[in-house]
This record gives sequence, C-alpha cells and structure tokens, in this order.
Amino acid sequence: MAAQVIKPVRKLDERHLARQRWARAAWIYGAMLALAVFFIGPFYVAYLGSLKDNPLEWPFRYSFAQTQPKNWAAAWRLGQLGAGNPWTGGFAPGARIPFQVSYFVEEGQEPQTPMVTVPTRRAGAGLGAIFDEVQAAQYARVSEVQEVGRRSALVGGQPGQIVTYGFTITYEGQGPKAARLPLDIEAPRGQMYHSATLDPNRLERRGRVASWDSAAPGFLGYTFRNYVRVFNEARDPNTGASFFLRWTLNTFLVSLAVVLTTLLFASLAGYALARMYFPGKNYLFAFVVFTMTVPAQAIFISNYLVLRDLGLLGSLWGMVVWSAVGAGAVFIMKQFFESIPREIEEAALIDGASPITTFFRIIIPMATPALGALTILTFQGMWNEFFKAAVVLSGQQTNYTLPLGLSFFRSAYGVAGDWGLMLASAFLSMIPIIILFVVFQRYFVEGVSTSALKG
Amino acid sequence: MLRSQRTEALYALLFLAPFLVHLGVFFVFAFVRTLGFSFTDKTLIGQSYQIVGFANFVQLFQDPRFIAALTHSISFMLIVTLLQTFLALSMAAILNQRLRGITFFRTVYYIPSVLSSAAVTVIAIWFFQKTGFLNTFVGWIGSLAPVLLTFLVIFALAQALQVGWERMRGLPVALTDPALATISLAVGLALTWLLVALGAVVPREAQPPEFTWLTNSDRFLGVPIPLWSIIMLNTFTTIPTLMLIFLAGLQDIPKSIYEAAAIDGASPLQQFFSVTVPMLRPVTFLVITLSLIGTLQMFDQVALMGDAAPLDSIIVLAYYVYNNVFSGEGRVGLASAAAIILAALTFAIVLLQRALGISEKAH
Repeated sequence: MAAQVIKPVRKLDERHLARQRWARAAWIYGAMLALAVFFIGPFYVAYLGSLKDNPLEWPFRYSFAQTQPKNWAAAWRLGQLGAGNPWTGGFAPGARIPFQVSYFVEEGQEPQTPMVTVPTRRAGAGLGAIFDEVQAAQYARVSEVQEVGRRSALVGGQPGQIVTYGFTITYEGQGPKAARLPLDIEAPRGQMYHSATLDPNRLERRGRVASWDSAAPGFLGYTFRNYVRVFNEARDPNTGASFFLRWTLNTFLVSLAVVLTTLLFASLAGYALARMYFPGKNYLFAFVVFTMTVPAQAIFISNYLVLRDLGLLGSLWGMVVWSAVGAGAVFIMKQFFESIPREIEEAALIDGASPITTFFRIIIPMATPALGALTILTFQGMWNEFFKAAVVLSGQQTNYTLPLGLSFFRSAYGVAGDWGLMLASAFLSMIPIIILFVVFQRYFVEGVSTSALKG
Repeated sequence: MLRSQRTEALYALLFLAPFLVHLGVFFVFAFVRTLGFSFTDKTLIGQSYQIVGFANFVQLFQDPRFIAALTHSISFMLIVTLLQTFLALSMAAILNQRLRGITFFRTVYYIPSVLSSAAVTVIAIWFFQKTGFLNTFVGWIGSLAPVLLTFLVIFALAQALQVGWERMRGLPVALTDPALATISLAVGLALTWLLVALGAVVPREAQPPEFTWLTNSDRFLGVPIPLWSIIMLNTFTTIPTLMLIFLAGLQDIPKSIYEAAAIDGASPLQQFFSVTVPMLRPVTFLVITLSLIGTLQMFDQVALMGDAAPLDSIIVLAYYVYNNVFSGEGRVGLASAAAIILAALTFAIVLLQRALGISEKAH
C-alpha cells in the first residue's frame, strides 16, 4: 500500500468555536437591526416629512426648523405672549410680541431697514380657504422697526456684517381672538436673511422675503403645525364642525358595533359548528371555509343594492349590517371551542340546563381569551376597512370613516400638493391602532400565525 | 333520528341562524344575483333590463381597459407572490434563532401590516413622488457608490486573506466565518474612512432626481412603472404577516433532524435546502395560496392613488368592477361579468391547490 500524504487537518478548538458563536450572534443582531430600519425607516422619514413646511423639499433634510429645540422654546414663549396659550398660540387683545430679525449685509453695502407687514392670509389650500376667519391684520399694529445692533461676520466666505432689527406687534383695543398672526418681512436687495426669534416657515424671492404662518404659534402650532391644521382647516362647509374629529368618532362607533355583533354571532355559530350535531354539518363548514376565499369585490354589487333597498346607503348602519359577522370570525371561534374539554358543559347539560343557558353561563366565560383575540382582530379590521366604506358611504362626507376620509383628503389636497396635511392626517389615523398593537401585540402576532396555520 | 338529536339540531339551527341569514343574504344571494346580472344589461339608474346572453363577456374582452386590468391583476398576483414568498422565507430563516430580544424585533417588523392600507398608501404616494424619499435614497446610494464599492472590495480582500491564512495553518474555516468577517468589517470600515479622509475616494455630487414613479408611462418587464410602485408597496406591507406564518412553521420542525444533518456534515446552506425547504412544504403552499388570493383582491391602493397615477397604468380587476358600477350610468351588467371573471380566477386557484393534493390542513 502506497503511503498517502495526508494534510493535517486540525479541528476547530473550543476557543475558536466560542468566538464564532459570539460573532454569529453579533451578525444576526446586525441583520435584525437592518430589517427593523427597513420596516420602520419609511414611516420615520414620512413622519419627519409631516412636520415640515414643505414635505417634498429637495435635498431631504433630517434636521430643520421644526426639529430644533431653539424654535420649540421660542414658539412656546411667543404663544404665551400672543394669547396666553403656549400650546396652540393665537393673537388676542392685550398681546405684545417683541420680535427680532437679523440680516447679513456684504461689506461695502449700507444696511437698510426691512419692511414688516402683517398680511391678510387665508388658511391652507383646500377646504380651509372657504371659511371667513378672524384676520389678525385688522387688529395688529407693528411698531417702528429699529436697529438693535450689528456685528461683523464671515458668511459663506464673504466678509460683511450681521445687522439685527427689532420691533413689537401689539393687539390694539378690544376684539376677537385671531387663530394666527401671519407675518412677512421683506428686506431690500442685497441683504440676506440670517436668523430670527423664530425661524420662518418659508423664504421667498431668494431669501429676501421671510414669511411666517404665525408669529405667535405656540409649541404645537409650530412644531406640529400640519397636525393642528388637520383639525382646524378641514371643516364641514355647512356646520363648520371638524371633519377629522367626526370621522374618528364614526370609525370608533362602527368598529365597536361590529365587534359586539361579531362576538355574539360568531361565538354562537362557532359553538354550534364545534359541538352540536346536525345533518350536513361538515358540508356547511367546508362551505364557510370556501366563502373566506371569495373576494368582497366580486360580490359587492348585490350587497350595494340590498343596502340601497334597506335605505342604509350613506349611513354607518349600512357598514355595521354588511360586516355584522364574518366567516373568518366563526372559523376562529369554532377552532377555539374544539380545543376546550367537553366535560364541563356535559355536566351542565345533564343537570338539565338548556343549551342556551349552558352557552351563556358556562361556555362564554370560558371563552374569554378567544373573545379577546377576536375583539382585537375585528376592531383592527374595521378600523382599517376601506372597500366597504367606499361602497356604502360614498358622497356622505360627514358619515365617512377615517380610511375613506384619507382618500377624500387625497383628492381635496392632492391637487395643491399639500403633503404636510395629508401625511399628518395619515399618522393621526394610525394612533389608535398603534396603541392597541403595543398593548395587545401578543394577540396580533399569535392570531396571525396560529389561525392562518390551522386554516 | 332520535328525539334528543332533533332537539339538538333545532338548537344548532337557532345558534347558527344570525350567521346563516347574513351568509345567505350577503354571500349566497349576492353571488347568485351577480351571476344573474352578468347576463343582463342592467344599469344602476335604469329600472328595467333585458337578458343579453354572453354579450357582456364579449364586450369585456373587446374593452382595452378590461384587458389591461386582467393582465395587471395576473402579473401583480404572480410577481407579488413570488417576491413575498421568497423574501418572507429568507427573513423567517434569519429570525428563527433562540436569541434574547428576538420577540421585540418580531413585534417591530409586524407594525407595517397592522396599519390601515389607506394611511400606508397615502404615505407611499409621498414616498414615490419625484422629490419624495425613495428618489432621495436612490440618489444617496448613487452618490455614495464609489465609497460603498471601495468598502466592499476591501472587505472581500480582508476576508479572503484571513481565510487563506487560517486554512494554510490547517484550520477548516468556512469562507463566511462570522468571527473573521467581523474583523474584515472593522478593517473595511477603517480603511474606507481613511481613503475618504485622504481624498483618494470621493463621493459624487448628488443630482436632483429625474425619475418619476407614478406618472411614468414606461414599462419594466411588460408591467407599467406605476404598478411596480404598488407591487413594492404591497410586498412591503404583507411580508411580515407571511414571515410570521413561516416562523411558526419553522419552529415546528424537530431540532433532531438538523442535528442529524449536521453530524452527516451538511453545511447550514445544505441544511436549509435539504431539511428546511421540504419540511416547510405545506406551510409554503398555504402562504402561496393566501398570497395568490389576497393579491387578486387588491383594491385600496389603486383607489387611493386616484389621480396620482394614470388609471390605465394601475387598474386591476377589483377596481375595474367598482369603477364600472360607480361611474357614468353604472353598468351593473358589465361589472357583474367582470366580477364573475374575478371570482372564477379565485376558484381556479383554490381548485388548483386541491388538485395538487395538498390540503390546507396538511400541516
């Protein structure tokens, strides 16, 4: 036998293996973190966008006026000075608002005093514009603009000086409170805006005109400007009531009503399918499973006509009746009832209790975990339901639910490109579901993986 | 039948009554009526109507918009299902570890799929605008390309050198050895940083974005670009759900099979393809079926896009049906015929699944 030269192969020793284990864990955590950024990142940047004055600005900035603590503090203080309200600000009798603005003037140029005006400006582009609101311009008096100081500085490599001007806006006499105090400051040619008590919402004409939506905005009115606008600007043209609040209430009512009907009807039907004997039970169950696969869009036409005949179109009741009980809910309850032991109810039945008494006295109390999960899943499903709302509620704006309301905002504000308001309304509509998810996440995650697997 | 049995059947009927009435009116009656309407020329406003036989179906296949909707629906269904299944399975395989804090991450990943499709679509339309974040991000990657490429080359070189060295010393390390890769990562980051600081590698100047996603009339692989945007959106929001189903399936595979495979010398990749994939077959079938049926129902995203994208580039069957009922005179007959085709597609998928012999309860 010829002697073979075998290359010595050492085994990895314990030290190497431990090192590998640690490194592998580190790579997996890194991958999980990257995935988390992938799934949450888009929402984070959209949230940043919703705070901006122009969410479509390019290049994209992660740090801007609304994220700077300096502006938070200034907005808070100005809101307090304007109307004694540090949160949403305003302009009320007795207000006295000192304001400073600084300009950069290149060397060799003589600084000139800028022009300060409180313009008459309607709110927003879409629905808000049709309302007559109290205009601060009628009551505001701007004091003479005076130079406060100047210092030499280098800006962008250019030598020159920064000149600071100060003025005061006062509310003269008595009158109604104005929601906003719009402000425009126009500087002469050659002077560049540098800084101010509160950073402006817009710079126009190459930085010569600085424009504020409100010089007394309050913390929320400045930082969450678009969110406040969602409530203030979108109003019913007839009653003046806030659309968004109404839609939130509608969505709550519909979701709650459907949760109640689903809990009752689905547990009754699920119990009958799980425990009671009747001819054709298996065929019925197979049919129920089959109906779950048919798209609602394939059969809605008749449902629309039925609801029309019942006079339920445009009404929240139409949504409730159409969604009262779903095959999926019956399926979940059937699975649950099959998993609990028979002995308890049999004892009750032998004692002579009727199936109805047994069901409500003994079965329902035992089913709390399943009913809890069903509540969460149904509530979430109805809160997000778009198709049925689009069929039943179309045209009745006061009866919209939030998803349909968002689509209404999209067409009302999309033309003007008012993305701040659209993004803000999208985030506001998510809040209840996010809270629900954080509190009951176990139900969400387990509900999906178990019910789907068994289905 | 015994008397007691008859009583029980009566009680069962009583318990089932609300559900059966609802199912009867809103499913059985609805389906039969839709089928009936599809052979008539009924409109939403008109009072009387006539039976027209198969005229609606003939008319559908002569309508370019219906052909567009049908092809869009089918390509959307196939592409999304393929992407979702592949990505969800890969993610589940990564996440199937017994590590601290893994439940936290699972919860985080699940967030996009509990949010309402309306809100997510509004955000997505912003994302897909010309100066929206997607183009910003793509532009950022483009301008950083020289730096990223430098890093990748250094990383690969460092890893190759280390693995070569260890093998020369007789240690059987894999090319992807995680411990060595950590060192390569540190070397790569440090050297790239140095090269950028020295000015040897310079990121390119970012250019203002030119590409439009939603108002683009171009096609990619025969599918309009705006529809690709919805494909990306839908894949993004449904991956987490499917991933959780895969995870539940993965955790039911006995550990002993992997141990046996490891003893036989199977590498992690071999284990994945010869143990995980076959053991997961029933779950994969379930995921694919759910995905096929779910994607056929896609409606919300198209409806919310509204005028953000041209309708003919994003229309799908579900929206075609809705649009025909609620626009103009409301052509219920024609819409019903389209609805029947949508339902038939769904039945075909369910039947195909049955025919392939893997029932839903195989797991």
